[in-house]
Amino acid sequence: MTVPIFAIVGHPNKGKSSIVSTLSEDESVAISPIPGTTMENRHYPMAVDGEVIYELIDTPGFQRARAALEWMRRHARSAVDRAEIVRRFVEEHQADPAFVAECQLLTPILEGAGILYVVDGSRPFGEDYEAEMEILRWTGQPSLALINMIGESDYSGEWQKALGQYFRIVRVFDALEADFDRRVQLLLAFGEIREEWRGALKKAVHILREERARRQALSARVMAEMLAGMISHVRSSRLAPGTDINEVRAAQLQAYKQDLMVMERRCRDEVEQIYNHSNLERQEPLVQLLDEDLFSNQTWVLFGLTRKQLIATGALGGAAAGGVIDLAVHGASLLLGSGLGAVAGGVSAWLTSDRIANVKVLGHPLGGEEISVGPMRNINFPYVVLGRALLHQQIVAERTHAYRGPIEINPQLSTWQVSDAGMRRRFEKLFSRLRKQDGYREDTVSLLAELIEDQIRVPKLFESPSEP
Amino acid sequence: MTHSSLLGDLIDLTEALETDSAINLEQRKQRDRQIGQGLQQYRHRPAVQIRTWLHDLNHPRVGNQGAQGVRVYHLICLALIVTGLISGWVLASAVLFYDGNQPINIVNALVVLVLPQMLLLLFWLMAALPWRLPLLNSIRQSFSLLNPGRLAGQLAGLFSGSDGRGLDQLWHSDHAAILYPSARWLFSFWSQLFAVSFNLGILASAFYLVSSSDLAFVWSTTLNISSEAFHHYLNILSTPWAGFLPEAVPGAELVAKSRYYRLEEGSLAAAREIPQLAVELGQWWPFLIAAVSFYGLLPRLLTMTVSWFRFRHHLRQALCNFPGAPELLARMNSPLVSTHAAEPESLLKMPQGDIARNTAKDWALRSPIIDWSGTAHDVKDVSSVLSGLGIEPLDHLYAGGRQTTEQDQELVLGLCRRKPEGVGILVKAWEPPMLDFLDFVKSLRRQCGQKMPIIILLWGGEQGGAITDRDTWQLTLGQLSDPDLHIEPIGPGL
Repeated sequence: MTVPIFAIVGHPNKGKSSIVSTLSEDESVAISPIPGTTMENRHYPMAVDGEVIYELIDTPGFQRARAALEWMRRHARSAVDRAEIVRRFVEEHQADPAFVAECQLLTPILEGAGILYVVDGSRPFGEDYEAEMEILRWTGQPSLALINMIGESDYSGEWQKALGQYFRIVRVFDALEADFDRRVQLLLAFGEIREEWRGALKKAVHILREERARRQALSARVMAEMLAGMISHVRSSRLAPGTDINEVRAAQLQAYKQDLMVMERRCRDEVEQIYNHSNLERQEPLVQLLDEDLFSNQTWVLFGLTRKQLIATGALGGAAAGGVIDLAVHGASLLLGSGLGAVAGGVSAWLTSDRIANVKVLGHPLGGEEISVGPMRNINFPYVVLGRALLHQQIVAERTHAYRGPIEINPQLSTWQVSDAGMRRRFEKLFSRLRKQDGYREDTVSLLAELIEDQIRVPKLFESPSEP
Repeated sequence: MTHSSLLGDLIDLTEALETDSAINLEQRKQRDRQIGQGLQQYRHRPAVQIRTWLHDLNHPRVGNQGAQGVRVYHLICLALIVTGLISGWVLASAVLFYDGNQPINIVNALVVLVLPQMLLLLFWLMAALPWRLPLLNSIRQSFSLLNPGRLAGQLAGLFSGSDGRGLDQLWHSDHAAILYPSARWLFSFWSQLFAVSFNLGILASAFYLVSSSDLAFVWSTTLNISSEAFHHYLNILSTPWAGFLPEAVPGAELVAKSRYYRLEEGSLAAAREIPQLAVELGQWWPFLIAAVSFYGLLPRLLTMTVSWFRFRHHLRQALCNFPGAPELLARMNSPLVSTHAAEPESLLKMPQGDIARNTAKDWALRSPIIDWSGTAHDVKDVSSVLSGLGIEPLDHLYAGGRQTTEQDQELVLGLCRRKPEGVGILVKAWEPPMLDFLDFVKSLRRQCGQKMPIIILLWGGEQGGAITDRDTWQLTLGQLSDPDLHIEPIGPGL
């Protein structure tokens, strides 16, 4: 089976690069305001583990189509040898700086690439397109015309009439707005221009659908990890003697907020990378903590035990030690050993706890006053965070790589709610598990990821995402 | 396949994944797929894949924490073994203390050496239940204070460094949801290790006392239990070993002879006079050893083994579920789909120039107007705008589009022969100037000479133009560096 190769050709600045950018999910495609800056073909193979399924070639735009066509007309004897004349043109002008663009764009076509001719459907048809369309017709290669809707006006009807005279298949495609299904439809349409390419393109579509499902699963996983981290995050610090508790508390709270912000930002970055977006500019309000007073806690600890626990441990330890004495005297002590041991252990734990807490072992204080912030107990917090993440994921997943503006995430415009009561219960169960920090299971995050993935797969989860 | 420690690898993985996240995802996808393709035989053993990836990666920053964590783990194991042996030895020495006056009450020995262990075993079983019941949970938490495994965990925190990346991250980290099950079974393993050592300490002490002293065992109780009934209970207690260790099952005669009454000194009084009886009273030791072994040591060996395997199971689970690990497995096991450009973009560097834009200038020109490539269906459409600029159209000429380049040349020659005051070229603002057009402008300049104003009349069409279109024209024509080449936007938006 031959690998389908498609040369994307057309006028300069008419959206060739945006189509390539969208179909190849490559935002490195430069879009220059100056026509003629792209003078070399650029190849975009779709490869799976190195095996190329199909290839797109972004070509320079026509620069001197009239002159090239005039040369061809002068040398053509009949319609039969037109393709040969185009080939001769390329061969004879390879070194001619006047026809660099024409030679570049015609070379892959003459080698068998299908033609994807791109025009801007938001601007009227002009007679200056006729020369280049004629040259493409002369090559005799299978072709398809794409009307790229760059602006708001619609001249697609006019274009379809004009293009229909030169191309058997004409499609309208918005490279900036095309969602996944439209991209897939376009790829399948490429298969219509040559029968033998259909298999490869169907395979490509199948792979892309699988890849999309993988991306959804990965995004869900990343979001679940973020949520688990944000819900269960605790920031603690030991209080040095004489420290202003309020100052420490405020600093801890600030640091806690910063930690949550970093977790959210990291999640956003990862989701964007999953969808092959990098360095996107985001405009998003910071997450609100909803209830700041609820999760600031001050405790006394030693070996991770609170003072009460420590006294209980001391008492039990003393009782056990005293019990040995009771046993040694065969109970003649009437359990006095255990009783006194318990009292002695408990009292000594109470009296010496502060001194022990200040002892440093290997540079670590054994205990002392501790201020901790978190975990987040507010029951609405996970839903707010998840709603923001889902909105961001939807925007990123639907955003084409041709679109270069910033991402605007405004959760006020689009609210997310779990409509299904059963689903909500399942969410709440997992959130509760994370909040209580008890009954941990390794699969908690995986289960959460599965639920989030279900939400991601809901079509149009947000009806009005603010992009683009 | 790697042979290093599972625990060390889990500790290292946390840092490896964090370090790795700074690398571009595309690079990670390629690298991890390459590693993953060599590990497809372990596709159903994800922990092996992850560990091999970790070792293949061999990140310079990774490795120390894992080794350090394993050292702390081994140190604590050793400490628990020593503490357990000493505790067991001391307790057994106290319980089996006999100075020839007060015989050892076998009931007492069983209550101290066996019964508490069985109760604690019951708590272990409750704690090991996979589900959580509130009451059981409270009991478990109360007794966790006496759990040597948990206390050892607190001790481990002291040796784990201050950055929370050592062994203690298993129970002190934001990833507790994933790591804590491993920690729970680690604590369980440690406590069972202590218990096994404790029982071994008891047995060692018992053997030592049996072999180095003359012990006398009796049984005594205030309860109204006959020797026959007591023998019956002992038989039940001895069931686990009765089949293959019959000498460790006290006979009815021994039980009857060993009953001790404080007032009469019972059998002990007779034993002082009959040496044979004294020997028989010492024959309880096989029973005691068997009871400690079967109700203390063996169950603890079993629970230690279970804890060890559960600990390893959860370590593997944590390896595969740690944040970033499922993503890593997906990268290793999913086909690498690439649609990116095969080569970097190479853009032609355009010479920088500038072109004046004479907005609303009164040109006061009588000039021919060249319609480039059919810009206006009728030049009258733009006549009023041209008048506003002070340009009076002389001729309406056509170039570009369907005209041939030769026709364009003829037009230029004819036009320049007339030496016009200036030339206006009406172009579509939305179509970028191509080299074809620049050739035409250059030809016009060449034929008509310097200084003659060439005014590019940017027409925005019926909908009006865009500023970006005007910028494109300015940037492109700027490359010609022609001071008498001007751009005049006509129509709204430009």
